[in-house]
Amino acid sequence: MQGSEFDEVEFFRAIERSGARALLIGRRALVVLGLPVLTADYDFWVHIDDIALLNTAAEPFGLLPTRSPEEARARGRYVLENDEHVDVLVARSVPTVDAGRVVFEEIWTRRRAVTLAVGVNLALPSLEDLIATKRIAPRPKDLEDIRLLEALRSKEQP
Amino acid sequence: MSGTLDPPGDATVAWLRALAERELSAEEFAAALAVPISSEERAAVLELVEWFGRRYPTPAERLAYVRRAYRRWTRAVPSRAASP
Repeated sequence: MQGSEFDEVEFFRAIERSGARALLIGRRALVVLGLPVLTADYDFWVHIDDIALLNTAAEPFGLLPTRSPEEARARGRYVLENDEHVDVLVARSVPTVDAGRVVFEEIWTRRRAVTLAVGVNLALPSLEDLIATKRIAPRPKDLEDIRLLEALRSKEQP
Repeated sequence: MSGTLDPPGDATVAWLRALAERELSAEEFAAALAVPISSEERAAVLELVEWFGRRYPTPAERLAYVRRAYRRWTRAVPSRAASP
């Protein structure tokens, strides 16, 4: 399947059905929460033991992994790609710029499920944890995203 | 309108990418986050959120909007390969 025919809802359905513990992070998570930001790719953080499940779910969409599961675990990242681009973070925990750590098991426990369509849910980190993931790779756009998320948090927790 | 826009050169694209993707130091990051969000900035963000949610009430609609907007955005910038 070419990216131009990419069915986003079906993609998320396949991930959910696969049983892979995969959290949508990055800017598409901001979009789901209601922030109108542009992005080219998808970002997931997947449990270190669930790479093969995610790859199997992505395969019918023509998305091929750039590394084997073993290589991905060793490097901490890989990409699923055709003319879509899915960045996948693979780590038990990741350091943040302010010397903290974001731990997958912890943020998975606190995840929120968002319904995309009937019978299709996607997993997002909590707002607090999504902000924490923005401290992993401290680029200018991550700073911008943190400010957007903080503003959104002030609405949810006045 | 897009026909009047010169595509950026490879060097410009590389420079912009490096600028956008550069990792800030812990000090730069902390300094930027120490600036509090003003009430005006918060109000502007929440106004956008309100519009986005009203126009695209469901997460699926919002995700679909971003795919359309991104395609529109990339079409608006002519590629160098397509330029004379």
